[in-house]
Amino acid sequence: MPFFGSSKKSPQELVKAIKDQLQVLGTKSAKGYQTDKKVSEDLTKNLQVMKTMLYGSADSEPSTEVVAQLAQEVYNTGTLILLIKHLIRIDFEGRKDIDRIFANLLRRQIGTRMPTVEYLCTKQEVLFELLNKYEEPETALLGGRMLRECCRIESLTKILLYHEAFYKFFDYVELSTFDIASDAFSTFKELLTRHKMVSAEFLEANYDRFFVNYQKLLSSENYVTRRQALKLLGELLLDRHNFTTMTRYISSPDNLKLMMNMLREKSRNIQFEAFHVFKVFVANPNKPKPILDILLRNKDRLVEFLTKFHTERSEDEQFIDEKTYLIKQITELSGPKDQMEVLK
Amino acid sequence: MSLLQQCACASSKTKESPTAVPYSRKHQTTSASPPQNDGLSQGEDNRIHSTMMSSGSFVPDTKHYELYTVIGRGCNDTAGIILTKHIPSSKHIAIKKTNLESCDIDFSVLQNEVILCRQLQHEKVLPILTTFIHDHELWTVMPLMAYGSCKDLIHAYFTNGLSEQASSYILRDTLLALEYLHSKGIIHRSVRASHILVAANGNVCLSGLRDAHSMIQRGRRLRIVHDYPQHFVRSLQWLAPEILEQNLMGYDCLSDIYSVGITACELANGYAPFTDMPVTQMLLEKINGTKPVLADCTTIADLVGEENTNQGHDSGIDSEATNSREITDLANARKFSHHFHNFVEICLEKSLETRPSASTLLGHSFFKHLKKKTSEMLPSLIQPLSPLTDISKLPKAQAGDVDDLAEDINNMSMEEGWDF
Repeated sequence: MPFFGSSKKSPQELVKAIKDQLQVLGTKSAKGYQTDKKVSEDLTKNLQVMKTMLYGSADSEPSTEVVAQLAQEVYNTGTLILLIKHLIRIDFEGRKDIDRIFANLLRRQIGTRMPTVEYLCTKQEVLFELLNKYEEPETALLGGRMLRECCRIESLTKILLYHEAFYKFFDYVELSTFDIASDAFSTFKELLTRHKMVSAEFLEANYDRFFVNYQKLLSSENYVTRRQALKLLGELLLDRHNFTTMTRYISSPDNLKLMMNMLREKSRNIQFEAFHVFKVFVANPNKPKPILDILLRNKDRLVEFLTKFHTERSEDEQFIDEKTYLIKQITELSGPKDQMEVLK
Repeated sequence: MSLLQQCACASSKTKESPTAVPYSRKHQTTSASPPQNDGLSQGEDNRIHSTMMSSGSFVPDTKHYELYTVIGRGCNDTAGIILTKHIPSSKHIAIKKTNLESCDIDFSVLQNEVILCRQLQHEKVLPILTTFIHDHELWTVMPLMAYGSCKDLIHAYFTNGLSEQASSYILRDTLLALEYLHSKGIIHRSVRASHILVAANGNVCLSGLRDAHSMIQRGRRLRIVHDYPQHFVRSLQWLAPEILEQNLMGYDCLSDIYSVGITACELANGYAPFTDMPVTQMLLEKINGTKPVLADCTTIADLVGEENTNQGHDSGIDSEATNSREITDLANARKFSHHFHNFVEICLEKSLETRPSASTLLGHSFFKHLKKKTSEMLPSLIQPLSPLTDISKLPKAQAGDVDDLAEDINNMSMEEGWDF
């Protein structure tokens, strides 16, 4: 135990002090929120103390016992939700300490149990409070970071995916501020790709609603949204966990038309990403008739187009192989009519 | 267009907070905005700097920005830095336009840089005011650093290096920035003269956080890191031996201090040590503990001795020889203080145990004579250079420049569409 600094608060006292200070800052009067500089400064100091308790310092490791007491107190007093709710009323550096505190508590483990995760499963509003931060520019990136920490945990990902609020992402990724929009996209992607089984089940169960919304991203006016959405689509379809979703996606002639048009977009990066979705349609051994019809109608054009397509990528062997394969597949395509003629 | 602009202002103002922000803000916030007019008496630039961060007044909309001329390049020439007038406030700022279609761009790296910078707030770290997408370009709005980078200073006039005093201000501020970053667990990893920028009032800012790396991962502070990205190539000269070695020992924040040592030589000598040296030789020199030094009358004899032996291997070209004679003469005519020499020496300590931290270095005798906080002395120390402040005579950027034209032609040449 330290001999100096006997004024050190116990974890219980510390959490209580933080909670009280948050309540002062979170009190709304007719004039708006309180801006008590003293309280705000003290809060920042307390958060720093809390962070040090959890992380240890340069020359001391954190004490397991203190951490356990601290975490328990945070759960019992509902301080976590308060911290996140009032994030914007905490000063710039204090906010970042909250991010660190959150990340540390979240990964806490006792044997196989993860107490903070268990706590969050019962207090789901914390997760949605974090999600709402995307609507508050000053704290959006911090909220995003904390949310992505949650995405590492399967059970929390499940809660987020199946909640109505998930569809807010389709607006967030289109926000005009690049850093916030692209942060939201990272979180969105994380939710859909980290826990394969969970997201595959989610996509199957919510196919229609998801892809109606996704379509908007693919036709977004924002170049980055369009490009990122297209890239993620390719990744999702090519993941074997998403086989059912892929089969459904590549049976739709509208989806094929969209990809063929994107092959012709002026942006070469978008053309390239579109290629990786388009190839799935062509490679499908059981093409439904409408898909086959479109490909047949455009057979010669497609062959000509693909032959000239991104010829400068001479070092990307996989791409060249795939392109050659597609050209071969399309050249060999034959419709029912042709087959009849062959029979004659 | 100006009329439209006014309309937009008038309609949005009514909803705004009572503080004088005469233009729209896309994101409405509930926070009580900090008082923004308290710094009127202070230096103009300082005020811009502080209120720029807090006011959130920079809107992600091209209509708010009037572009002038290209004043710099960034990110391997894929980005242009453009002197810009922020129309609502008539302030001069800089916009970095990055072409996202360029194949040299690693999108995720760019994204990380922006997101990291937006979460930093320090007087000596170049802030990003807002970022948005326009066509296939990323626009990054930043304060105008009117003297450009320290490398620009060297190029423009101080080809043989800046004065010791100018260097000391620049290095002090760089260390302040690093002290802040390191306290956040961030390793900068590309400290060099071209990433240190100087504002019209002499404020120095560290930029170039593209290669920065956080030591705090998954709720735990790492003691060392082992991340060795591919695109380090441009910064090899400045990197610490422990980063270059890429071994299991890893590295930490102190690796930035080594780069400070190299940058100190770069500032004072006018060129970075190990310039023109083959990479493998540089690597060996660093690993063997060779410490570059400031070139002055106390060190030049050793330096020349080394160079002669080096030239033995090369085919000695005449121009190189005269060049080195010039350098010798110049170095003989100057003398840096022993504080400065010592500063460089301890920054370049090979062993991480003996290399000091940014905080420790800030107490070094080299900085004793500096005024406590300001760098307002700096402009007088880098005369005759003057900052870029009068933009009235500069050409405005033309709408639809050559790139766009080329693109239009590209589009036209596209074949007919599909048959659905």
